[in-house]
Amino acid sequence: MKRFAIHALLSVPGVLLICGWQTDQLGVDPEKTVIWETGIWTFNLLITVFVLPVIARWARWSTLLRYRRAVGLWVFAYASAHLVSFLTFLLGWDITRLSEEVTERPYVLAGFSAWLILLTMALTSTRWWMRRLGRWWKRLHTMVYVVLGLAAVHYLLMIRSDWAWPVTYAVCAVTLLAMRLVQRRQVIVRSN
Amino acid sequence: MSRVTDPHTYKRRRVLAAGLALSAVGGFTALRYGERLTAGAGQVQGYTSEAPRLSGNDKDAAASAGKSHRLTTKHAATHYNNAYEFGWDKTDPFRRSADFTLSPWSVTFDGLCHRPGTFDIDELMGMPFSHLEERVYDFRCVEAWSMVIPYNGRPLRDIIKVVEPMGAARYVAFTSVYRPDELPGQASAFSTLEWPYVEALTLEEAVHPLTFATFGVYGDRHLPQNGLPFRITVPWKYGFKSPKFIVRITFTKDRPNATWHRENPSEYGWYSNVYPSISHPRWSQATERRIWGDGDIERIPSRPFNGYAEQVAHLYPGSKQQYR
Ligand code: HEM
Repeated sequence: MKRFAIHALLSVPGVLLICGWQTDQLGVDPEKTVIWETGIWTFNLLITVFVLPVIARWARWSTLLRYRRAVGLWVFAYASAHLVSFLTFLLGWDITRLSEEVTERPYVLAGFSAWLILLTMALTSTRWWMRRLGRWWKRLHTMVYVVLGLAAVHYLLMIRSDWAWPVTYAVCAVTLLAMRLVQRRQVIVRSN
Repeated sequence: MSRVTDPHTYKRRRVLAAGLALSAVGGFTALRYGERLTAGAGQVQGYTSEAPRLSGNDKDAAASAGKSHRLTTKHAATHYNNAYEFGWDKTDPFRRSADFTLSPWSVTFDGLCHRPGTFDIDELMGMPFSHLEERVYDFRCVEAWSMVIPYNGRPLRDIIKVVEPMGAARYVAFTSVYRPDELPGQASAFSTLEWPYVEALTLEEAVHPLTFATFGVYGDRHLPQNGLPFRITVPWKYGFKSPKFIVRITFTKDRPNATWHRENPSEYGWYSNVYPSISHPRWSQATERRIWGDGDIERIPSRPFNGYAEQVAHLYPGSKQQYR
């Protein structure tokens, strides 16, 4: 029941987007709106994935950690919707253009690499894969830090003149990455 | 340092964390969607159209104007604009322009011309608004979207003739209005653009018959989001080369700088003619998304000089790389 509520909550931005599309509420250029909104919600939930363990430690609230996987899967869902809307609206499913875009535009390369990592993580997110991969599973899934870095770069590279939003997200990403590094050092020091 | 904290502290921390999470969601929602949700379309109804034949139902309008051309709806063309003076979001111009002072408006001509001076906008029109010529141009934004828009105005050359540029004049610079109190984008701390906005053309481009001094859009003079009361429309270049809210026109010998070109020369060339084969560093220019109406979008191939090659290609001898 609780799990269901979490999934329902995480689907809200997507459901609103679909409703907005159906009722023509997404403005003059709904295609771009869909790309932007799926992009920003991918980022929001990605940040949530990193914030959860911070709160869990600080407030001794380990139940939160159980929902990390659900949030992670929704990150992948929004990222995939984002990718599909990019392919549909901007490339018209011209796959030859995808390779051109990925190789020639650094911001697309960053986004696409991030999505490939998320794809790998989503595919191996089951218990079965966890057991099968053993130690490697953990290593593979720490790649989510690379995803966070790539997401920040992806957004920063989009700046035309106004930098408030991309820089805010980059600051969040850097802070979370730094916190994680500090925490790892503490763990290492303590285990010595 | 003691690591023992009593359970009460953790309970309080949980409440605090939940509160912070909620405020983060609330803050995000307010900042990202707040203005878009609260400022409705109501503002636009305040604008009156002086030439009703081209407002309202645009399909009828196109038919009555004798055009086989399909036009972008007035609603789309007035609710989706790039005018960084109002903000970077494409809905900022219509939402934030209700208080923009359109009148009085005058334009100063200076630099290398024999008859410099300041002219009121009615003098520039030289005829009643309703007598101005109407031209339907394809408008191509550098961001790879486009619209088909009816402009009301007269060829810029007719105005330039009056002020008599000197023989030494080779370029024309257009300076836009600077009013940070009315234009929030100019007051923004987060914009890297330098104000006021400046665009420029060669004199040859400026006196080309297609270069259009524009006083109205869809027969309507009261649309600041479209750059009124006075802008220039140069249909074979990317949209930012068609400056808005112009208050000064200067004739120069040396090539003037231009706002977007100065901001990022590799992305926004000085000439910025539409060349589908030359990509913007961040996206292809081979195709464009033609916006016909709200949510009515078609992906079509882009054309050299935005379809005006026959009229303007001769202005650009040699390699097109020079004129990107
Ligand atoms: C982890 C993966 C990704 C994240 C977190 C992400 C995030 C974002 C964000 C935050 C935006 C800006 C939204 C806004 O301006 O409101 C955006 C825009 C965009 N993203 Fe992504 N993205 C990801 C993956 C991708 C992928 C895989 C592609 C395509 C291959 C892509 C292509 C784009 C495009 C084309 C835009 C719009 C750029 C424009 O404004 O013209 N992204 N993305």
